[in-house]
Amino acid sequence: MSSSILETKVLSKAFGGLTAVDKVDLSVEANKITSVIGPNGAGKTTLFNLIAGVYMPSGGEICFQGKPLGKAPPHKRAALGIARTFQNVLLFDNMTALENVMTGQHPRSRYGFFEAALRLPKAHREEETISLKARQYLNLVGLGVYADRNPLSLPLGQQKLLTIARALATEPRLLLLDEPGAGLNVLEKQGLSELIRRIREMGITVVLVEHDMDLVMGIAEWVIVLDSGQKIAEGTASQIQKNKRVIAAYLGDEEAIE
Amino acid sequence: MLATFKRHWWSYLAMAAFLLFLILLPTQLLGEKTSILILIGLYSMVTVGLCLLMGYTGQVSLGQAAFFGTGAYLSAILSTRYDLDPWLAMLMAAVATGVFAYIIGYPIFRLRGNYLAMATLGLGIIVWILFKELSQYTGGPDGLGGIPNFSIGGFAFDNKLKRYFLIWSFAVCALLIAQNVVRSRTGRALKAIHGSEAAAMSVGINIAQLKVKIFVLGAVYASLAGSLYAHHLHHISPNSFDFMASVMVITMAAAGGLASIWGAVFGAATITYISQDALVELGKSQPKLAELDVVLYGLILMLVMIFLPKGLFVSLRDAFDSWRQRRARKGPVT
Repeated sequence: MSSSILETKVLSKAFGGLTAVDKVDLSVEANKITSVIGPNGAGKTTLFNLIAGVYMPSGGEICFQGKPLGKAPPHKRAALGIARTFQNVLLFDNMTALENVMTGQHPRSRYGFFEAALRLPKAHREEETISLKARQYLNLVGLGVYADRNPLSLPLGQQKLLTIARALATEPRLLLLDEPGAGLNVLEKQGLSELIRRIREMGITVVLVEHDMDLVMGIAEWVIVLDSGQKIAEGTASQIQKNKRVIAAYLGDEEAIE
Repeated sequence: MLATFKRHWWSYLAMAAFLLFLILLPTQLLGEKTSILILIGLYSMVTVGLCLLMGYTGQVSLGQAAFFGTGAYLSAILSTRYDLDPWLAMLMAAVATGVFAYIIGYPIFRLRGNYLAMATLGLGIIVWILFKELSQYTGGPDGLGGIPNFSIGGFAFDNKLKRYFLIWSFAVCALLIAQNVVRSRTGRALKAIHGSEAAAMSVGINIAQLKVKIFVLGAVYASLAGSLYAHHLHHISPNSFDFMASVMVITMAAAGGLASIWGAVFGAATITYISQDALVELGKSQPKLAELDVVLYGLILMLVMIFLPKGLFVSLRDAFDSWRQRRARKGPVT
């Protein structure tokens, strides 16, 4: 695994008495689509929050591109190239769809308060680039025509695509998608699969937490299974589908013994 | 560039009209009421600073009068007791207030919502008590007098009309800077914090730092306004910077529409007119009603929050916009 972009070493996170992530070692290969699956409460979202820096680990560490992330806060991790979407969407409802994506360009632009206050040429130039790129990402997810709409006026499927565009606008190396398929219809899920593949082709490593097994099995090149905070299996989609421990975790022990 | 102009032609036109109005108002229309116009300019500066913090970033401050007061007092003390030039005094006051806001900003913005409101309320009250109690510097409850005028070379700002133009030059600059900040990368980051702090962090925004920065900007605006106030009135006392002054500024911001730069001017104008002119006139015939302003602020805040949560100014503007769109849609048919 020389080409891994993200590694966790005996990573743990405890909330009071509950260990949500328990000594997890995992390695995410660069330029692949990796899926983290597991029953409810398995610690998938906590894992994402640890990688994104929302939580600090209780034990172990996370390395991104070979370097330990330490206590870097979320905004620094975004600048390093870790982007994410949220299960509960979290769009900025006080801005248009385009502005939401433009906000994603924050870590890739430099001009600050002073240049903005006086409208210096530097600010002007960077604003042009920001809006140009934002439009490109908006077009990439197929929402170009909704640039001026309020994000909350869009249906859920499109809101989710918009959060992906916003995350892509940070120009990440690693994109974490938290349940991108939840609440989407079959057609929208097909589009989502295609989009995720296209993102991978752009050279971005994708890790997704997802409940929809059809979606996962269709696109994931590597699947990691968590249960009660521990990694219980990993492998290709077809290996995972046959794995006894995975089936046990999902269906309950009795059936697995059969 | 042209595209931006086309998109904003209406606001450029409004601004040109506004500037012309500002010039004509004291000279042609309202000679003797220039004092009120000066106050409107000063409160516009304080209010727009608060709008950046409250309306755009979504962070409450119930202590904005504290910064207005530190600007006024520092400027007054430096120029009367230490004989500094008023310009230098104003500059030093602004820097000191900015540093003060920066230092208290980091601990205070660890708090959110009601707790932040309480902390800023406490700040406002503590600073006000200092104005009253540090009487060897501030003159105590009686305040400080004999504060000199500004002057450039031999030209002194020694009458109201001159100071009107001086103060409104500052106010217009402050408004333009605020507008530029709002329409920039920083402005989007501020709105992002308001929208969702978690999402804002995830796109690389340093929310703790940005909250403090915008708090400092608001404090510096208030401080400059305070210095201008002191050198305009030549006398200051703690009562101008008490808790009710902070409430008044919040009422101005709310009346204008919290997230609107030009709304801040509208709000400042409306509330200043009511408290400094309408109620004063009313008080002449019915003295008991002169104290009505406090009741009125509460009432305005309540009514605006319940019926026009976007503020009076923004609601009117939205109504105008939709009227314009309706007309534009009808246009090609006829």
